[in-house]
Amino acid sequence: MFHPRFGCVSASLLLALASFAVPSPASAEDVIRFGAPLPITGPLAPEAAAQQMGYNLWAEEANKAGGINVGGKKYKVEIVYGDYQSNTPRSVQITEQMITQDNVNFMFGPFGSGAAKAASTISEKYKVPTIAASASSSQVYDQNYKYLFGTFTPNDTLTTPLTGIIKAKAPDVKKVAILARNDLFPLAIAQEMEKSAKANGFEVVYFEKYAINTLDHSATLSQIKSLAPQWIFVTGYINDLLLIRKQMTDQQMKAPVVTMIAGPAYQTFIETAGQSAENISSASWWHPAEQYDGKDIFGKTSNFVKLFKAKYNSDPDYAQASAAASGALFQMAIEKAGSLDRDKVRDALASLDVMTFWGPVKFGSNGQINSLEPPVFQIQNAKPVVLYPDAIKQGEFKLGVN
Amino acid sequence: MLAVQVLINALVLGCLYACIAIGFSLVWGVLNVINLIHGSFIVLGAYLAWGAYQWAHISPWYALLFAAPLFFGFGYLLQRLLLNRVISAPVLVTLTLTFGLDLILNNAMIYYFKADYRKLTLSPPTGSISLFDVVVPVDRLIATASALALTGLLYLLLRRSKVGRAIVAVRLDRDAAVLMGVDVKSIYAVAFGLGAALAGCAGVLMALIFPISPLTSSAYLGKAFVVCVLGGLGSVSGALAGGLLLALVEGIGSVYLGPAHATTLSFVLLIVFLVARPQGLLGRKGFE
Repeated sequence: MFHPRFGCVSASLLLALASFAVPSPASAEDVIRFGAPLPITGPLAPEAAAQQMGYNLWAEEANKAGGINVGGKKYKVEIVYGDYQSNTPRSVQITEQMITQDNVNFMFGPFGSGAAKAASTISEKYKVPTIAASASSSQVYDQNYKYLFGTFTPNDTLTTPLTGIIKAKAPDVKKVAILARNDLFPLAIAQEMEKSAKANGFEVVYFEKYAINTLDHSATLSQIKSLAPQWIFVTGYINDLLLIRKQMTDQQMKAPVVTMIAGPAYQTFIETAGQSAENISSASWWHPAEQYDGKDIFGKTSNFVKLFKAKYNSDPDYAQASAAASGALFQMAIEKAGSLDRDKVRDALASLDVMTFWGPVKFGSNGQINSLEPPVFQIQNAKPVVLYPDAIKQGEFKLGVN
Repeated sequence: MLAVQVLINALVLGCLYACIAIGFSLVWGVLNVINLIHGSFIVLGAYLAWGAYQWAHISPWYALLFAAPLFFGFGYLLQRLLLNRVISAPVLVTLTLTFGLDLILNNAMIYYFKADYRKLTLSPPTGSISLFDVVVPVDRLIATASALALTGLLYLLLRRSKVGRAIVAVRLDRDAAVLMGVDVKSIYAVAFGLGAALAGCAGVLMALIFPISPLTSSAYLGKAFVVCVLGGLGSVSGALAGGLLLALVEGIGSVYLGPAHATTLSFVLLIVFLVARPQGLLGRKGFE
């Protein structure tokens, strides 16, 4: 039987719930909400922390300047974070939840190519413009989605200049061993490296994948050592690469060239690996030494670096910069569109052709940026030293990783 | 030479796996509790070693001396105050309780230490020994020796001491042990304390070898679980046999099938054992 008092309580409960679910008109008018699903806990937590720093810096700077100017009216920036616990299927759920329940206006993609690709299907379904701040693999963009944009150039823009430098500076290097984390981006860049190495006349003596969360690599490394490669190319995230570097030292593995992607760009890697990080080469999409004069909220690259240092007391890496750049790009597109209409903002993003602190930004027809020239660098004296492009070159390539 | 190197690697790694698993095996065997907090105990032990070296310049070898009693006390109290209350409940209840405790401890570590990876680097570094092109890292060698010593100590404790005999008695027949005047609740707490102490010591040793982060606890727990199933529950020699078998299978698997399939191979082996030999390699009813 229906109890009248119970009915009264549940009606008020429903009303209360309804008032939570629908944002009040005042807040919806003044704020632009950006959804950011991130692996805040789990094995990818350090990468999420880096990205969060970038988003927060942009939101703070945008709000300090009064907010985003939409047709003469200023809107504050609010970033809605969601933790998908380093679990890709959960990033898809959280993206849907942010769009349908949290009423975000726009989305940032989750971390890495795998999760960004998975979640992009949802934002495409709901026609929500999304910028993926850390997805480079072509498999993310070959879906030809209309609402997905990415700030990383394709993987071959990293491996091609790298192979060129090694070929020019280390002519004795002939044999390459490639070890890749069995994950979308690390595997894709390893495959790109294999292609690039073969095209440049290197002999690929070893190409294998290791499982995510592998604890011990000693047997694999012993096998690589027995093949005596002169160039060891390893892909993975910070923890994988620290573990592999330590176990390489344990096995007394030496090679003229050791390249690791994508750990050495992070300060955590350099600090934790210490002396063993010396002379490791790598490539990324951005470096604080770049000198662009941007039209975005951060302006010059040096100004971005200064603001970042003031807030976090450390140099920004490419992941932090990309996150901040993604925010700044949304801001420019919204201001250009003069509206919060998702289709208008999407069109504004697609037509961007602008200089930013991140570099020149122009998206290809598949949504992936095609205007950047990613730097190649090497850890020398515990600092990343840029080797390429020549415009921002800081030092010469050094042979020998012990 | 590659075969010898892979074999040596597997022997060393096998002893480390045994060290990771032995406390877990003891608790599972004696208390019938699948202790999901074990992985976090290991990580906490690693942080203890890291902190002691970083701030007080105490070598990890000395850290073992205070890690053991500290973790024993922690484990003893945990069992006395919490686990003993639900020890006779179905295994799912204790599993859920340790799962909850693990969430609390792991998240507390993420809160205090952050999810960043830390590394304990000895100064000067211990380096590696090389003999006829076969290389063995000294830190792994010392950790292996310490792991074997701990295993030996536990074996002696269980065989020779009064408490050890009482633990074995409870493991064999709880009701008979009660009739013989054994204080079962105390023995449970001692066994859990010992399990925690072994996990803490394993953590101190692992700090030298693997990067330290709260996020590695699930990897340690997974290894402990596989080693216990392969070797047999509650037996000291079983943990050693299980650890060696797992390391060997992983090593050979990664060389001949590729590293991506090494884990698959170890889990296939786990399933084969669960079906064909659920008591494991050396699993017996007691410790004799």
